[in-house]
Amino acid sequence: MLSLIQTEFLKLRRRKFIGVMLLAALLMPLVGIFYFSTSGGSEISPMQFYKWTAFSYTPWIILPLVLGMLCTMLMYDENQNDMLKQLWIVPVNRMGYFFSKFAVVMLYSICFMSITAISSILSGIVPRIIAFTSDSVSFLFIKCLEIGILTPFAMIPVLAVAASQKGYILPVCVTIVYTFLGFILLMVNMYIHPLSSTTVIIMRNIDGVVMNEPIHIGKAFLCIGIWGAVSTVWARVALSKGK
Amino acid sequence: MDNLMIETRQLTKVYGEQTAVNKVNLHVQKGRIYGLLGRNGAGKTTIMKMILGLTSVTSGEAFVFGQNIKGNEKRIYPRVGAIIETPGFYPNLTGTENLEIFAKLRGTSKPNAVKEALEVVGLPYKDKKIFSKYSLGMKQRLGIANAILHDPELLILDEPTNGLDPIGIAEVRKFIRDLCVERGKTILISSHILSEIALLADDIGIIHNGILLEENSLAELQKKNGKYILLQVSDTAKAALILERRFHVKEYSVQDDHTLQLYDTSVNMAEINRTLMMENISVISSQLCNDTLEDYFKKVTGGEGIA
Repeated sequence: MLSLIQTEFLKLRRRKFIGVMLLAALLMPLVGIFYFSTSGGSEISPMQFYKWTAFSYTPWIILPLVLGMLCTMLMYDENQNDMLKQLWIVPVNRMGYFFSKFAVVMLYSICFMSITAISSILSGIVPRIIAFTSDSVSFLFIKCLEIGILTPFAMIPVLAVAASQKGYILPVCVTIVYTFLGFILLMVNMYIHPLSSTTVIIMRNIDGVVMNEPIHIGKAFLCIGIWGAVSTVWARVALSKGK
Repeated sequence: MDNLMIETRQLTKVYGEQTAVNKVNLHVQKGRIYGLLGRNGAGKTTIMKMILGLTSVTSGEAFVFGQNIKGNEKRIYPRVGAIIETPGFYPNLTGTENLEIFAKLRGTSKPNAVKEALEVVGLPYKDKKIFSKYSLGMKQRLGIANAILHDPELLILDEPTNGLDPIGIAEVRKFIRDLCVERGKTILISSHILSEIALLADDIGIIHNGILLEENSLAELQKKNGKYILLQVSDTAKAALILERRFHVKEYSVQDDHTLQLYDTSVNMAEINRTLMMENISVISSQLCNDTLEDYFKKVTGGEGIA
């Protein structure tokens, strides 16, 4: 499994777009600078600032879209260039293959959220919008790590779709619909979409966040788990469908 | 037989209503090159895919190293190298980087395995050219390098010379031959190029419309089908009647109104000539000819030549 993960990283050489996508992590912190520096005199707490730069649109929209694109890119070359049969006769285990891709998504997601955390701190402290407090910084890093770990699990259905398709159009469309659906369903039922459930888990201990329904961590994990398991089974079937 | 590296029993593949492979019994012996010869769409690739377990079998069985491929993939694959259809690689990586990935996945212990494999196929080691910039011939060579990377006992090569120039074809042919002769590898190779198979294979299987029409050693095929008597006469219908009634010749074919081919070369031609002349049939010529493999292919496939 370790060699599979290592080879996954070797495959990413010269793929500049993967690096470019990390720049999206800077988007909300930059917007935060403009938003709070123009909002006038009122004092802003670090938590208010981080809610804006790291805990809102980044985990709801930006990170899922970026991870969806990454899932598509990771699967596209091998599907498009008919490489899978060469991998199967190595032999590479189909589930090992799927989970090695997932491991890449997970590490990428953690990197993305680490950049978000660092840029949030810098964009708040350097222009003196917020004061530096060790409590808020450590909370920010823990939350970003949480988001970085949980979101890839919520994106397993997109990875499964990417694994089952030769092209990239459907997985990209699914990523967009899936992401926005997760955001919309947050206001309807938080426990039917993995991304909504991820938001529930993330927001459980952030002050000042009011959810539509009572927070139930077990239900949220159950939702992510069911979607993840069903998608994994589907990916297994899709990867074996050539037989 | 104990020395069979590949054996298929009644191997059949049906796609919808179309039978792509029909009850094929293939026998590839250890240390020999087996050429699977057939036109495009004859079923060669499907057979190879079934042997490798890459596509499901509708009925029948495929055995590799005496073991049924189904359920024994993990034991069999490390001993097999293969190219099926066009070899695909990561377009953003160089040839060396691509092979390093496969070497890592296979857990190849030999430190110079990638370098040696590239040398065998005549590709540069640590070259900066990425795969997407490779010519078709270079891609094919890289595919072969990948197939031999882990020093497998058995090579399954599906049209490995596709896209190569004549010199490249000759080079590939030479190293495939060397792999068999010098390193004792068993090779199953498919092609629709008859001359290539004739120059390379020890054993030949002729496949047509999914049916294995003939399986024999090249030497045996040449011996069996090499010679015939070409008889040019004024009237083939009358001549055929005389050959059948007077000389009991049954193995012959009528090519046109004036040409006959007699496959039994032991007949007394002087006597036949004399008899035909006495029956007022002019004998324009009679000569002993050698049948080419292509003629034989046409014969067994019902007149359709190789594509």
